[in-house]
Amino acid sequence: MSRDKIVLDGLSKVFQQRRFFRASDGLVAVSDVSLSVPSGQTLGIVGESGSGKSTLLRMILGLIRPTSGTILIDGQDVARMPRHDEKDFRRKVQPIFQNPASSFNPRQTIGAILRAPLEVHGIGDRHSRRDRVVALLEQVGLPADYAKRHPHQLSGGQKQRVAIARAVILKPSIVLADEPTSALDVSVQAQILDLFRRTREEMGLTSIFVSHNLAVIRQVSDTVAVMRLGRVVEAGRVDDIFSNPQNEYTRALIDAVPDHAAVINRPERIATT
Amino acid sequence: MIEPRAHAVKGGTPTLRIRDLSIEFSRRRGDDLRVVDRVSLDIWPNEIVGVIGESGSGKTLTSLSAMRLLPKRARIVQGTMYLDGTSLHDRTERQMRELRGDRIALIPQDAMQSLNPTLRIGRQVGEPLELHSGLSVAAAREAARKLLQSVHIRQPEQRVQEFPHEFSGGMQQRAMIAMGLALNPQLIIADEPTTALDVTVQAQVLRLLREIRDDKGTSILFITHDLGVVAELCDWVYVMRYGRIVEEGPMRRIFTEPRHDYTRMLLDATPSIRDVRKVQV
Amino acid sequence: MIQVMNGFDWRRWRLVLTGGTIIGIILICAIFAPWIAPYSPYDLDVVAMLQPPSAAHPLGTDELGRDILSRIIHAARISMQVAFIAASVGLVFGTLIGVVAAYFGGIVDLVLMRLMELLFSFPAILLAVVLMASLGTSILNAMIAIGIVFIPGFSRLARAATVVVLREQYVESARAIGMGHGRIVFREILPNILAPLLVEAAVAFSYAILLESALSFLGLGAQPPEPSWGNMLNTGRGFMAQAPWLSIVPGAAIFLSVLGFNLIGDGLRDLLDPHMKE
Repeated sequence: MSRDKIVLDGLSKVFQQRRFFRASDGLVAVSDVSLSVPSGQTLGIVGESGSGKSTLLRMILGLIRPTSGTILIDGQDVARMPRHDEKDFRRKVQPIFQNPASSFNPRQTIGAILRAPLEVHGIGDRHSRRDRVVALLEQVGLPADYAKRHPHQLSGGQKQRVAIARAVILKPSIVLADEPTSALDVSVQAQILDLFRRTREEMGLTSIFVSHNLAVIRQVSDTVAVMRLGRVVEAGRVDDIFSNPQNEYTRALIDAVPDHAAVINRPERIATT
Repeated sequence: MIEPRAHAVKGGTPTLRIRDLSIEFSRRRGDDLRVVDRVSLDIWPNEIVGVIGESGSGKTLTSLSAMRLLPKRARIVQGTMYLDGTSLHDRTERQMRELRGDRIALIPQDAMQSLNPTLRIGRQVGEPLELHSGLSVAAAREAARKLLQSVHIRQPEQRVQEFPHEFSGGMQQRAMIAMGLALNPQLIIADEPTTALDVTVQAQVLRLLREIRDDKGTSILFITHDLGVVAELCDWVYVMRYGRIVEEGPMRRIFTEPRHDYTRMLLDATPSIRDVRKVQV
Repeated sequence: MIQVMNGFDWRRWRLVLTGGTIIGIILICAIFAPWIAPYSPYDLDVVAMLQPPSAAHPLGTDELGRDILSRIIHAARISMQVAFIAASVGLVFGTLIGVVAAYFGGIVDLVLMRLMELLFSFPAILLAVVLMASLGTSILNAMIAIGIVFIPGFSRLARAATVVVLREQYVESARAIGMGHGRIVFREILPNILAPLLVEAAVAFSYAILLESALSFLGLGAQPPEPSWGNMLNTGRGFMAQAPWLSIVPGAAIFLSVLGFNLIGDGLRDLLDPHMKE
């Protein structure tokens, strides 16, 4: 029996009236979400804007506090974690964010950006850190001298390679990705997805992958949860959901995706002229 | 060899014909950069033409040049353009201004940024009519109501009174389309009009564009990076890369038998929700 | 396109270098005043009162027969000291308040920023005068008073810049890898808000010189016989018709230093933009 690595139980988030939120009486961003991810698997979370998928991810990352519900990681309640365990948690759970343009401090070199997690957690000395950075750059397919470059000297795809490198430099067991390819061209997206998959397999990572792109979710996930207006409307094995959706919204969502592969099977439309 | 084109009218003229268009960007240092290189394309009446390419392919510049709305640093170094058989080349800026909105309409990618946040929707949608047909503000407002209705915005009487921020993203984009339709243009240039939208909303917008073509015979030039959208919408496809057209053909053939390596690469790289085949690098 | 920086790009540095040269000369005058100045700034010479520029006194003499060149050079000491200390007080405390307000938000933000607005609502010169009145008249107090005048401006700028940076994903990433508040502020936030603050600091330098002049002019800054550009200007006012050089010379000194600092500020703004480092 494989134990679930991540368990979400009745997770909700209500944003109270604050400066940056328009809603005056609590905005329900996530409502009663229960999901679990077995060790080594990838859960895809798909939804349109306002579905609460990014808020959910931020709660699991511990960046925002849930209003109610629990998050268990390796059986441990994240909210009731003793302070000295928090560093371990940070080491174990790493994010990859969406926007390659703002993911990195523009004033630091790639090397400094990649070393930061090691420094924060006091891992290794100067030499070993440098070696680890070089090894990781190589692992994500970048030359070692990129450590000396600044983020703005890198293309979007290269930045996302660095983002993946930073996410795994602490040898985490969980990686949480928020739309990591949505700002990229398709040819670059394919490479980054491939790198993500390879890294996940090599390091035996458990992951959650949030995207609005159903096709991308299908490519990378084992299980999928479809979110709408803060709720999970349907969840299950990725093939089941995509080939036989039970929920009406899921079906509408899948039907709405323009799909090039469908052309091949579609009867030719008669030209209207 | 290019296959016969279903929409081409024998002996007729295409709505837009571009021949050997080259555009260069002036750079502060070094030589000028050629961003569009000898591009030729046609759009026939009643036809939806897709121009597909990744960032830096020159697809947006090509389409903007037809309206002569190029950024300052870009300049056309060669080529000819004809709108409905008449040359666009020797027109003055004033004559171009008369064409814009009247015979060619542009639907931009980001509707929110294209709408003036301080003006009511009705005023903005009716604006082309005020400018080009000299309609009174009240008459333009009434026309705006009808236009909003034609793009399936519910309760248009109330909606014309609202401001852009009160509209959802999909409604803003539909309002932009309504504005584009105001003067019954022959050609609509749509530059990634659905990229910022959710898929369910995107589906509605695509359906609307198809409906406009079917009802009015408008030619649509659709610029996108999304193969799926092209498959859903277009009759004829141009594939662009690094400023050149690498392949053109009927939509179906492009997808079933791509001839250029780049087209094949794009098809392989684009994940599909129905096809479980994994993407290739 | 990534280009290798080959050599020194004079064009990008010209503003900073020009401004730096002006300020550099003034600083050298200030530091080495006793050695550079041809006369003592305090020595009276009753036979040589209100003399126009001559070989003996290149910038003329004042109503007490003191050599204006020497006094201007000595006055640079006070003006530069005031500029650096006042701008530093403003920069350090203003940034601290602004970053803390933005970073912690909520009630902390509310209280701090309302306090700043309270300070801001006074005209700068009035605030400085009130502060001087309560602190007592001395040049050190003038520096502190002018520094306090600057705090609200710096704090608003720092707060606004911090709010922008806080929305960047790299700050969130830093939190996600377990970075503490201090490290986030010093490593992720400060370097990214420094550019506008340094530009503001350069402007504050020039403004401090003007304010000090104004305070001295009102008799609240440097006390006679100690020369400062402000009190020299004040004295010159009385002899505008007979001896215009009495006001032109300190006026020109103020103008040059303000120009110098503003050039540095403009140049820094361009240089510190990381996206222009190509």
